Amino acid sequence: MFVDTVVEDKALHKPAFLFGLSIAVLAIFFTFNFTNTIFGEFLSPVIGNPEKSGFFGRLAVSFVLTILFVANLLLISFARLKIQILIVWIELFLLFLAFAYSFDLEIAYIFSGQPSKIGLMISKGLFTTIYISAVSILIATAIAIVGAIAKLSNNGFAYAIASFYTSLFRGLPLLLQIYLIYMGLPQLGFMIDAIPSGIAALSLCYGAYMTEIFRAGIQSIPKGQWEASRALGFPFGLILRKIILPQSIPLIIPPTGNQFIAMLKDSSLVSVLGIWEIMFLAKKLGAKDFNHLEMLLTAAMIYWLLTIILEMIQARIERKYQQKT
Amino acid sequence: MSIKLGFKKSSIAFTALLLSIGMTAQAGVVYDYIKNNNELMIATDANWAPFSYINDAGEMEGFDVDVGREIAKRMGVEARFITPDWGVITAGNWNMRWDVSVGSMTPTEGRSKVLNFPAVYYYTPAAFAVHTDSPVTTLAGLNGKNICTTASSTWEMYLEGSLDMLNAPAFTYKVTPGTITALADGHTCLDDTRLGAGVRNDGIIDSVPMIQGAIEDGYPIKFLGDPAFYEPLSVATDKGNSDAELDAEIARIILEMQKDYTLTSLSMKWFKNADGSSNDYTVAY
Amino acid sequence: MANNIKMQTNSEDKPIISLKSVSKWYEDFQALKNIDLEIKLKEKIVICGPSGSGKSTLIRCLNRLEAHQEGQITVTGIELHERMKDIDTVRQDIGMVFQSFNLFPHLTVLENCMAGPNWVRGIDQNEAKERAMALLKQVKIPEQADKYPEQLSGGQQQRVAIARSLCMQPKVMLFDEPTSALDPEMVSEVLDTMVELAESGMTMICVTHEMGFAKQVADRIIFMDEGEIVEQNTPEEFFNNPKNNRTKAFLDQVLS
Repeated sequence: MFVDTVVEDKALHKPAFLFGLSIAVLAIFFTFNFTNTIFGEFLSPVIGNPEKSGFFGRLAVSFVLTILFVANLLLISFARLKIQILIVWIELFLLFLAFAYSFDLEIAYIFSGQPSKIGLMISKGLFTTIYISAVSILIATAIAIVGAIAKLSNNGFAYAIASFYTSLFRGLPLLLQIYLIYMGLPQLGFMIDAIPSGIAALSLCYGAYMTEIFRAGIQSIPKGQWEASRALGFPFGLILRKIILPQSIPLIIPPTGNQFIAMLKDSSLVSVLGIWEIMFLAKKLGAKDFNHLEMLLTAAMIYWLLTIILEMIQARIERKYQQKT
Repeated sequence: MSIKLGFKKSSIAFTALLLSIGMTAQAGVVYDYIKNNNELMIATDANWAPFSYINDAGEMEGFDVDVGREIAKRMGVEARFITPDWGVITAGNWNMRWDVSVGSMTPTEGRSKVLNFPAVYYYTPAAFAVHTDSPVTTLAGLNGKNICTTASSTWEMYLEGSLDMLNAPAFTYKVTPGTITALADGHTCLDDTRLGAGVRNDGIIDSVPMIQGAIEDGYPIKFLGDPAFYEPLSVATDKGNSDAELDAEIARIILEMQKDYTLTSLSMKWFKNADGSSNDYTVAY
Repeated sequence: MANNIKMQTNSEDKPIISLKSVSKWYEDFQALKNIDLEIKLKEKIVICGPSGSGKSTLIRCLNRLEAHQEGQITVTGIELHERMKDIDTVRQDIGMVFQSFNLFPHLTVLENCMAGPNWVRGIDQNEAKERAMALLKQVKIPEQADKYPEQLSGGQQQRVAIARSLCMQPKVMLFDEPTSALDPEMVSEVLDTMVELAESGMTMICVTHEMGFAKQVADRIIFMDEGEIVEQNTPEEFFNNPKNNRTKAFLDQVLS
């Protein structure tokens, strides 16, 4: 984003804003009543038994929380930008952990067993999830190239088929597509197993989205490139292969990376076919001893971590292409 | 003429499809396939301890799994388990993705349209349960209340008053719920109940061993009244690929397992009470 | 019949490009009206006229980047029409230089020049490279061969574009306002290159407002307005003795 060269005073450093913010925060803490939490216990020397502290207790707890919150903001505001970002990240993450901790979970369950539950999810589920996503994104890319060309062509059949395809597969919920392919195709005599079904559904669905990305990528190459190639006597296929696609790729890669990240998470839907990927194992391993949330949280963490890694890889690829052009 | 897709069983499935279009179920096709392949493919949902679940080693385990293994053993072939969603199994039209379901399925009128039930191998009681703080003390107290259970299960049918079990012990509808909350994963009902009486539901209905397991695991729930009904649980095969020879073989093996008390000992092994005593669910009460 | 015999005996005079009552419409707007024109081998033609007069459209019809709807266009003995299969062969023989250069940004200068010969004409890498380097020398930028187009100035890019076209060894070169997008100080380096090319005997058709260039190089100047050829003549006659009022008005503006 464009940052202007004129610096304004930070809002947090204006007393009026600080006062208003404090009032608002106080109101929120008061409304949600944290008296019966760990904070109330912490203040019990002042307010006595939290449960019986009444209005005074509630107000005191809210007041202390407000001061902590606003002081925290104020302190962070003095730090340098990078430090600010780091601190806020860490604090939000700790809040998330506190949120999970408040479920009263048996965290040790995740690491129980030999091999541990989390070990099982990684050794069996993670591989399957990545394998399904990677194969699907490759097939989807191939579909998208063909689909984009068909959508840009003057051939009525090609255009009609491609636009029907994108319309249908963008218009149906992915879960429905998975069921249709798994249960519907065998009725036609095409017997496909669970994993190929899942891959087919993911490829077709994301192929439809990526067709639009590729189409836009190809279309954004200036007309002059086509004209110059045409004027040199290049045939169509050569222009596409050597001139247009190489220039479209830097434009296509960032949204394709986003699609891959989205697909990685949507691959959890194929768990309904009994494929032992992360989501399936999370549900079933938790079901055995009624520790559902523990395993779901584990799956959440694995997905999140995977996404962060993929985002880093994507940023690196983007940087590489930016340098080149 | 057959379409080879490179996937297992595709050509057989196609042949079977042609047969089923012709409405001529041919005896022996599936069974021959099992024998030739030396493998019995068994479908069972992995969501239900102690019936079938994934153990610490990451393998299938439980009462149904043991029964499935024993059936395969007595056929003289290897057992292989696959774990599709319950709804996918009960929908029928397996197209030879797997050969049998050994997954505690209750034979019903509706299911028998798409599935065959060659042999009942045990009976489990289904019961209502409520939060320990619940004001409800009798089954009648649940009338008009919100009851949660697994979608497309026999328990849901019971709540709807449309339970059409085949060859089942007699039962009566003891509860008329006001709202039925049917969830794809019945476990979520238990977690909802844990939040408190009347928060997300007023009670649940599930199989007794299942509720037993939850109570042992510290869930704040308790049984309400006597079991509502006993459901027969059967091996199922696909009606779309009916194979009389396979069905007869399964019936023979189950009868044999009843006679030599294999089923009883498996039941005693898997269905234990809190006090350490065991349950024999292989006979209807 | 007599006419026919004359053309056979005088093959040097046979036009390399000929247009017979060519018309073109964009929807309802008629961009070209009944154009008749013959261009001989080695002739240098400058086409000028106010904007919107149809001069770019005309030149773009010559390699069928635009389609004409009526009349006949014959280029190197082949008639251009919508059902032709060998349009690419015709285009390979006609070089074209655009106002906005249209270099391939993902290829180096050298690769830009090698692309046509190597990919289309099937000339092997080494020979294509030799030819490309020779032509880059001719347009005086061999030292930029390994750079990417965006690292070059506008004038240099346009000279690369000329070299790229020449690598195909075309029979005719089309220039579509080659200096209009350039900063003023870069115009002359491109015009110098074009003058040299003209002196080497290339058949050239240039759409341009550079009247100095026209005077120096053109065999014939064509003035177009509202889709018509209003006047065509030798440079001396055209500048000193314009016949049409529209030509006079145009010259008053560009020469003042």
